[in-house]
Amino acid sequence: MTMKKVLIIGGGGGGLILANHLDTNEYDVTVVDKSDQHFYQPWFLYVAFKGSKRKISKPIGELIKPGVNFVKDEISTINLDEKKAYGSRKGIYDYDYIAIATGTVPDPDVIPGLRQVYEEYGDYHTNVWNSEKLWSHVSKFKGGTIAIGQASPTCKCPPSLLEGAFLLEEHLRKVGLKDKTRIVFFTPFPRAYPAEPMNKVVEPMVRERGIEVMPFFDVDTIDVQNKTITSLEGDSLKYDLPIVVPPCRGTKIKIIPETVQDEDRFIKADKKYMKIAGYDDAFAIGDCNTLPTSKTGVTAHLEAMAVSEIIQGRYAEFNGRINCPFDTAYGKATFVIADYNNPVAPYPPTRVKHMMKMTMARIYWMTLMGTADPIFEQFFKFTRPEKLNKKYATSE
Amino acid sequence: MDTTKIIDSRGAACPGPITDLARAYRNSKVGDILELWATDKGVRADTQAWATKTGNEILDVKEDPEKIVVKIKINKR
Ligand SMILES: Cc1cc2nc3c(=O)[nH]c(=O)nc-3n(C[C@H](O)[C@H](O)[C@H](O)COP(=O)(O)OP(=O)(O)OC[C@H]3O[C@@H](n4cnc5c(N)ncnc54)[C@H](O)[C@@H]3O)c2cc1C
Repeated sequence: MTMKKVLIIGGGGGGLILANHLDTNEYDVTVVDKSDQHFYQPWFLYVAFKGSKRKISKPIGELIKPGVNFVKDEISTINLDEKKAYGSRKGIYDYDYIAIATGTVPDPDVIPGLRQVYEEYGDYHTNVWNSEKLWSHVSKFKGGTIAIGQASPTCKCPPSLLEGAFLLEEHLRKVGLKDKTRIVFFTPFPRAYPAEPMNKVVEPMVRERGIEVMPFFDVDTIDVQNKTITSLEGDSLKYDLPIVVPPCRGTKIKIIPETVQDEDRFIKADKKYMKIAGYDDAFAIGDCNTLPTSKTGVTAHLEAMAVSEIIQGRYAEFNGRINCPFDTAYGKATFVIADYNNPVAPYPPTRVKHMMKMTMARIYWMTLMGTADPIFEQFFKFTRPEKLNKKYATSE
Repeated sequence: MDTTKIIDSRGAACPGPITDLARAYRNSKVGDILELWATDKGVRADTQAWATKTGNEILDVKEDPEKIVVKIKINKR
């Protein structure tokens, strides 16, 4: 009997976890990625604001288990009706099951002026080279106004935006520039952190550290000559150093039928089984899909685990669990925890949680291989959002 | 004719329904009606604050056992 072919597009967190959880004695598994390197994206923050030189990439070939095939190729078209994917370099791939896990694509061209800012200053979200570029500006900064934030609401890892502002403030204080600097954190949301319960936890820190917040600030244009950012809501902000995370979109891949993608090219998939609307053999995992949850490595991980079960004929569903580590600087961190049925818990920052975040960075490669699954299971069990919500319920 | 666009944010806790609303706002035009579906309780206060800030109008807020529905008219873009 011929083995069923599983084709995985994207060797990021979602794609690799799926590949490493499939039984290669039963399935012919192929991962296709346009790059042969996998990056640990959460570390972009520490490159951009601490000048970290830690190596944060590994060859994808070293991160897949024996028996899984890896091909370096960029997929340009996927035809879900014909069950074929077309690569720009190596040709045509057919499949019995396909999982698209292509992450997001930064799109600095939708906002006038942003391309120039992005190319000159970099950012802390899109790739390691842009983070290095930003560090070169941050480390040379002498004082003035720093405008920092996300250009539009769709962004991966919601805590990382404010983490950037916290780490920036810590750096400026350390080098004695705090008094000469105004940090303005702009956000399209109503407050510093979008989910209210977590905002209650972090807002006092934002205030205490003198970080100004401009809420409801969705970037419309950047006037590079006059160093001014203007929002859709009609406010403007003058800067000396702009740190603007560009909007992100779904995949550049042309998918047939095109109705499976929304206007920003994210792939419509159902929120429990990650099945692409109308197909039983096609899944969208992680940042590239439209699930009503945060775009994070942990969600990509949990979605991939569920999809691996579904492909292998067992029942599984994704419950919307998010678990985003949130570095509040000065050696403390918290986690943003919720799921489809439970709101974000007001989980306070501690040193232990910061250690957990740093440990995660060390064992990340193991989590891709599946060897850290038992640790995760325990952690998720002890930090269920309904439990935390009870424990840390505020008095109102 | 004005169009009504349904934005289904049920289940979204973080960053939450306001993300989807702000995203839909970017892609909207004057006269559009947006219907935001959410389960997150914060949606009432957030959409009200958003509408005040952006100069748009909340036409109606309804709650049934499964969802909160906020109907918004885009007056300004
Ligand atoms: C600054 C920052 C901090 C973060 N912190 C955290 C954190 O603490 N915790 C957390 O859980 N998450 C965090 N995240 C989010 C996390 O990194 C992402 O959500 C996660 O990587 C998503 O995994 P993915 O598999 O969906 O996509 P990705 O990991 O982005 O992988 C997509 C892959 O697809 C490939 N690809 C794209 N297009 C094609 C194509 N056409 N053909 C072939 N290959 C293609 C790409 O090369 C890439 O390898 C952070 C992100 C950032 C930027």
